[in-house]
Amino acid sequence: MLRDITLGQYYQVESVIHRLDPRVKLGGTLLYIISLFLFKNFIGYLLAALFLGIVIKLSKVPFKFMVRGMKAILLLLLITVVFNLFLTPGTPLVTIWKLTITIEGLKLAVSLAIRLTLLIIGSSVMTLTTTPNNLTDGMERMMRPLRIFKVPVHEVAMMMSIALRFIPILLEETDKIMKAQIARGADFESGNLLKRAKALVPLLVPLFISAFRRANDLAMAMEARCYRGGEGRTKMKPLVYQKRDYIAYVCIVVYLITSFVVGRLPFFTV
Amino acid sequence: MGIIRAKDVVYEYIRRDEDGNVEGITKAVDEVSLDIEQGQFIAIVGHNGSGKSTFAKHINAILNPTEGTIWVDGMDTNEEEKIWDIRQTAGMVFQNPDNQIIGQVVEEDVGFGPENMGIPTKEIWERVEESLRAVGMYQYRKHSPNKLSGGQKQRVSIAGVLAMHPKCIILDEPTAMLDPNGRKEVIRAVRGLNQVEGVTVILITHYMEEIVHADKVFVMDQGKIAMEGTPKEIFSQVEKLQGLRLDVPQVTMLAHELKKQGIPLPDGILTTKELMEALGV
Repeated sequence: MLRDITLGQYYQVESVIHRLDPRVKLGGTLLYIISLFLFKNFIGYLLAALFLGIVIKLSKVPFKFMVRGMKAILLLLLITVVFNLFLTPGTPLVTIWKLTITIEGLKLAVSLAIRLTLLIIGSSVMTLTTTPNNLTDGMERMMRPLRIFKVPVHEVAMMMSIALRFIPILLEETDKIMKAQIARGADFESGNLLKRAKALVPLLVPLFISAFRRANDLAMAMEARCYRGGEGRTKMKPLVYQKRDYIAYVCIVVYLITSFVVGRLPFFTV
Repeated sequence: MGIIRAKDVVYEYIRRDEDGNVEGITKAVDEVSLDIEQGQFIAIVGHNGSGKSTFAKHINAILNPTEGTIWVDGMDTNEEEKIWDIRQTAGMVFQNPDNQIIGQVVEEDVGFGPENMGIPTKEIWERVEESLRAVGMYQYRKHSPNKLSGGQKQRVSIAGVLAMHPKCIILDEPTAMLDPNGRKEVIRAVRGLNQVEGVTVILITHYMEEIVHADKVFVMDQGKIAMEGTPKEIFSQVEKLQGLRLDVPQVTMLAHELKKQGIPLPDGILTTKELMEALGV
């Protein structure tokens, strides 16, 4: 049922990676993605793949869940590869009809494909091993310096976690309204795209009204419980770095340095 | 002076037409005065639109009276700077359980109030545990609120208020959206709070069965307090209650009808047991 959907794509299992502080995972993922764009040879990619492989192994999440995230961008990946393959000027390698594959194009296409694949899988590892709640918490803490520039960090994090809490409720409500309208003869399934889109209007209007009503109620309930923004607020579950988090940071730094050195060696260059 | 005292409270809704011109003024609360003692179980009943919910929102300083004053533990709700102390003293539980749970895990939601009050982390955990135990939801502390029943969600909401250590809890039709079982669960939890923890309870409801155990009942109609007294006193005036469009528990109704037929029975019978004793069965 709709009630049971898991948000994001969190995969529940006990592992070191799951227990890491969300800040480590967020920062690590960001650094990892940056490292992917600094490589100047294929040995670097090998190293990156190796590092990711170890992390996946440690996370105990089945590999097929990682690949699942790839499906969504398969088309994008294909287009990028094809365009780079045929449209990069340079020394011609093969010519098929009017299209020429150049050595430079081939290298570029391959490196782009690897880069995107590692990027997607890398960020999947983060979302698969961190609960949405932890993720928002981590983001709030990491963005805290931005408060100097008047960025409403706490408010944004609060909105995100409320949104996450209400997605299943609103989904259920959509389902309810839809059934009520089907019972009165509404048709959501036949007709062309335009007709179907039109059929959604009587669904969206009550949904929006109810969402606003809920928002109003929730705001009142929050105020009744003394909510007045992030000022002077304490945390029930504060984020505290453990020993394993420091170890993880060291690992990330070691990876970064090696990949920076190895990734710039003048062999198998891109 | 009691924990909650209201003097001549008036609240007006201003109705406006589409251009913003004043069309008329509705008095939702009209000259309400009452005094509630610490530790009492108070019920406020009335049919829809009687002003009971509007009045309840005044106690928590969500609404401010147009005229008159309300004191919560000696604090005037009109004073801006006292508003958070007032909300801490008089916690509020609302009707729709889905729209008042903020956390994605039961224990996190209960911790929301104490977090806002700036309570140290360790104490938050103690408060969360004790409040969840008080409403009998401790074993569900790691659950997602979306997977709980209505009655359970409402008990979590009550725990959320309880964790703020209020002297008084106002429950604004907490059972209106629940099934009979959920209703019983919630009322049992509320009575437990009153009797075991000694929290003052103000229960707003339109289910007459729920007020049987109250220390004092206020019946509201058209923004005014129409009747007040113990449940017995209230239920002995069956005709008047019906005039206010309120139901009377079945047993009370039966006793009333029997009495009209000439069977000698005392007024205000509230339970089956009482009726059986009075009939000598």
